[in-house]
Amino acid sequence: MGNSHMQKQLLEGIQRGDAVLEARGITKRFPGVVANEGIDFDIRAGEIHAVLGENGAGKTTLMNILFGLLQPDEGEIRMGGQRVEFKSPLDAIDLGIGMVHQHRKLVSAHSVIENIILGHPRARGILNLKQIEEELEELCARYGFNIDLHAKVWQLSEGEKQVVEILKALYRGAKLLILDEPSSALTPVETKKLLASITAMATDELAIVPFITHKLPIVLAISDRVTVLRGGKVTARFNTSHVTEKSLARRMVGRDVIFRTERADVEQGAPILEVEDLSAISDKGVLALKGVSFAIREGEIFGIAGISGNGQRELAEAIAGLRTAAGGRVILGGTEITRASVLERWNLGMGCIPCERLDMGIIGDFSLVDNVAMNYYFDEDFCERGVLDYAKLRALTERIISQFDIAAPSPDTKAKTLSGGNLQKLILARVLSRRPRLLVASLPTQGLDIGATEFVRNKLMEAKKDKAGILLISEDLDEVLSLSDRVAPIYEGEFMSILPGEKANREVVGAMMAGLRPEDGHNEDR
Amino acid sequence: MSEFIIRSLEASMIFTLAALGELIDQRSGILNVGIEGVMLFGSTLGFIVAQSTESYLLGFLVGIAIGGLLGLLHGFFSVTLGVDQVVSGMGIWIAGFGLTTYIGNPYTGPLGMERIPTILGLSPFFYIGIVLVVISWFVLSRTSLGLQIRSVGEDPSVAQVSGLKVTKTRYLCVTIGGMLGGLSGAVYSLFYNPVWNYNPLMGWGFVALALVFFSMWNPLILLVGSLLFGTLWQLSLNPQLVLPGVLSRYIWRTIPFAITLIVLILISTKWFRLRWGAAKPEALGEPYITE
Amino acid sequence: MRIGRYRLRLEKRLTLTGVEATLISILAIVFALALFSLIFVLAGISPLVAYREIFSYAFASPYGLPLTLNRFIFLLFCTSAFIIPFRAGLWNIGMTGQLFFGALGAFGVLLAFGAKGSRSLDLPTGLVIPLMIGAAAVAGGMLGAIAGLLKGRMNTNEIVVTMLLNFIAYWLVAHMIKEGGPFMNPGGRGESFELPPSAYAPSIMGVSFTIFLALGVAVLLYFLFARTRLGYQIKAHGQSPAAAQYAGIGTVRISLLVFVLGGAIAGLAGYHYFAAVPGVYKISRNYGYFGDLAFYGIISGLISLGNPLAAIPVALLFGGLSIGGRLVQGKMQLGFGMDYALLGVLMITLVAFQFFYRHRIVWAKARERGRKR
Repeated sequence: MGNSHMQKQLLEGIQRGDAVLEARGITKRFPGVVANEGIDFDIRAGEIHAVLGENGAGKTTLMNILFGLLQPDEGEIRMGGQRVEFKSPLDAIDLGIGMVHQHRKLVSAHSVIENIILGHPRARGILNLKQIEEELEELCARYGFNIDLHAKVWQLSEGEKQVVEILKALYRGAKLLILDEPSSALTPVETKKLLASITAMATDELAIVPFITHKLPIVLAISDRVTVLRGGKVTARFNTSHVTEKSLARRMVGRDVIFRTERADVEQGAPILEVEDLSAISDKGVLALKGVSFAIREGEIFGIAGISGNGQRELAEAIAGLRTAAGGRVILGGTEITRASVLERWNLGMGCIPCERLDMGIIGDFSLVDNVAMNYYFDEDFCERGVLDYAKLRALTERIISQFDIAAPSPDTKAKTLSGGNLQKLILARVLSRRPRLLVASLPTQGLDIGATEFVRNKLMEAKKDKAGILLISEDLDEVLSLSDRVAPIYEGEFMSILPGEKANREVVGAMMAGLRPEDGHNEDR
Repeated sequence: MSEFIIRSLEASMIFTLAALGELIDQRSGILNVGIEGVMLFGSTLGFIVAQSTESYLLGFLVGIAIGGLLGLLHGFFSVTLGVDQVVSGMGIWIAGFGLTTYIGNPYTGPLGMERIPTILGLSPFFYIGIVLVVISWFVLSRTSLGLQIRSVGEDPSVAQVSGLKVTKTRYLCVTIGGMLGGLSGAVYSLFYNPVWNYNPLMGWGFVALALVFFSMWNPLILLVGSLLFGTLWQLSLNPQLVLPGVLSRYIWRTIPFAITLIVLILISTKWFRLRWGAAKPEALGEPYITE
Repeated sequence: MRIGRYRLRLEKRLTLTGVEATLISILAIVFALALFSLIFVLAGISPLVAYREIFSYAFASPYGLPLTLNRFIFLLFCTSAFIIPFRAGLWNIGMTGQLFFGALGAFGVLLAFGAKGSRSLDLPTGLVIPLMIGAAAVAGGMLGAIAGLLKGRMNTNEIVVTMLLNFIAYWLVAHMIKEGGPFMNPGGRGESFELPPSAYAPSIMGVSFTIFLALGVAVLLYFLFARTRLGYQIKAHGQSPAAAQYAGIGTVRISLLVFVLGGAIAGLAGYHYFAAVPGVYKISRNYGYFGDLAFYGIISGLISLGNPLAAIPVALLFGGLSIGGRLVQGKMQLGFGMDYALLGVLMITLVAFQFFYRHRIVWAKARERGRKR
């Protein structure tokens, strides 16, 4: 295997239980935020050491540092007792660190074996696949993998693709395997297989570090130790045998609450949105939304709580008209809109805040006026016989800029010069100014600072008081809990439950988001 | 009739060479719509040099060299400067078209040299072409260089993370592509039709481009496709061989283009698109920006 | 890169003002002209003399100016035809074929009126000319529609499609006007029948009335993009198909529409040159040359960054260069194809200058030596 000389020296004679990698005082700062602060972390040979933390807790940064994609501002990393520095992933790979990314880093069109040997020092000149095949098959047998080496990657299931990446890292001589959200894209059955493999892989020489956001049952099932991150710091270190999911969840999510927006009490009206058994297929061709049903009333905020990738995006897109439903019905104010076009939905009173602000919600090179026009160009009031009334649009934009306190020199400024917060305000403003009866708000405060966030939430409250029904999709649990009248935790495309506001608290919802069914006392194998 | 077949084979070889170059280009993710321009330069400069120095060898060498240079230029514009690949390609084509019309004009007329000796009735380039096709196929599918090229064209970020040099690979392919394009142009004007005229190629470069799409980026299918096209082309020049009296000869000249168009439409239909989409280098035409 | 005490750095642009863009475009043109003057130098002629001849003939002489203006009209149509799909993010390089079809359409109307048989036929001018113009637009639009439909529905590469159509159209014209074709001139000669004088387009001092048409189209286009709902939709799609989709703007509709419009305008270019320019009034033997000239439309469109009004002075300049170049070519005995060479030099310069539209050069005082980075 591709062992480099250095690696041999560093990790020679490692035995089970010895420290393979030690990180001390790792600190990394980005403009405006300290992503990692004074993190101490060690990994021992033969162990499975899980790292837990919410979005934004600093997991990804730490992981990227360990893999050489980022350099820490402070702190050091030692391997085998010697200080090492990774200037690039190649350095890390040479020293025996392998990474399996959350989003596949494989060439779909190539075969498994081609992906594994890509960039491998041993695959030079004319490819002698026979020998490589033999070595790989031996590797597979050792760890219990069952993969057709000549299959094309695009034909494989998510679980199999992951195995390929694991094999690639192992074949390159990895002694430390970092897994980024290993089961996030897997079905429960595949997850079971993966876990079995991981357990089998943690042999004498190999150490495995899965980085996990949720799926607490998995952490408990396979890991030997757990490190919990929150707010860039280590908040807990456990031996897995000494811990329960409840205590893990508490350490992950913490008790901090920044502020609570007053949840306005509004008399709710008739249902404005009815969704029956809605299903949708994701871009990857997998059924991402599996038949959800719910209704939203006028004046109600219906919140969907979940970790990204569990089907909420497909749900929002199916309701907004950006994705064809695979099954089920959507009814807006009594009219069926399952097959209606985007404009038809908008004309019936739907407003949509897109989840991808920069790609979908804004045209960077357009002026602010032109961006506002995205929600108005079809409006008869603003258009006379095909000619847009730019004076009116401009006046509207100026009103929006002042009302929403958007920091922009003029309505003619190009949108791309605005900050994320101001752009989101613009999107919100142009959508809300149409006084929609149903508002689909996807990730409305993502990436915004506290001021902008509070502003957005207040505006949502105003819309609610204006009798709009709001579908709120957010990855910020606090936000969903404080704003919503009812909460539906979503997990793997299904609603775990639909909870009335009073019953929805952090622990219950957090657990459901992570896959624990209601009324579960212990984690059950799903 | 045998004359017809021979000419068809010769024509198809020119398509093959140009299309092969573009195939290698595209496999690494670079789209060059200006093949016609490269071919024009290769044919014109090759013609001029050969005639002036009375040396075929020099003519071909110059043709190949100018092609390689143009390929390098395209690479420079699109990879390093980040200019839109389509704009850069069109630039090369229009520049080629414009400049060669001017440069070549004084040399309008026959080459006036003894024909290159043929082997079994076919020019040596026919055999060279076939060899090149086989070599390309072999390199692309069986060597690590081929794997490197293909990976760079499918997903440059994965390639980069795996330690491959994306930029260098792309430059290499675009230069080879240019060289082959220049060669094919030189073969055209020095052997196939040794008479220089305004716009000698008349669209062959674009047919070659379509051929690459049609071949699903497989050199062997490319060869088959260009044999078909070569025959089609010869047919359009001599319709009396197959369907005497039917349709004016001008209409016949449109047939190769019309068929190419139909082929393009076919490969865009759903049935084809799945397979074609699978074969298409994922990153084709997209600039790769290393942060 | 250091020059003296300053350091040059390349930086990606965030914004490009109209002034900056104009300056870069002008710089590109000047650079190209300077490069082009190599041709004069190689022939032993002073570039300054050559250029003076070109410009004075093209713009200041009573013979050259009408020629320049007629050429300008032709180029302006072609540029407009390129610009519409360009703003939608699509490439129309099929102006050549579209203008050929336009010419065929116009001459088809004449044929229907029996103009082929007799030149002295007295045709109702007020009826025939609008019909010819309409037919030209429709024919050009139809050809464009093919590319637009294929692109919108099946995402076929519009560059290859339009180029193939160009060649098909070229040979179709040949078929129509040569040996036995329906439009053939009774006298043979490999060109089409001539226009009866009653169908001549009105002209003022040698410049065809189509100048108003061309200018009108350019102004209309400017208005289209600046103020109308349709123009907005086209621009949005060109900037970000994803955002356009979010806003309910359909890809198929836009693709088809811009190519139909572009094709129609290119068709008008065909009507203009072959039926409205004094001294021509037929589909001439060298019709291919005009097909080639259409590519200047691409360059003009790129230099004017898709602004239909900015295209006007650019097309005028190129019209003049083309005509003046022809004169100088003959007068100073340079080889045929100078305007082709100029086309080539311009294009390659433009491609290189694309870089400057996206990046700016920043001067910064170099840091003192010895200071840690």
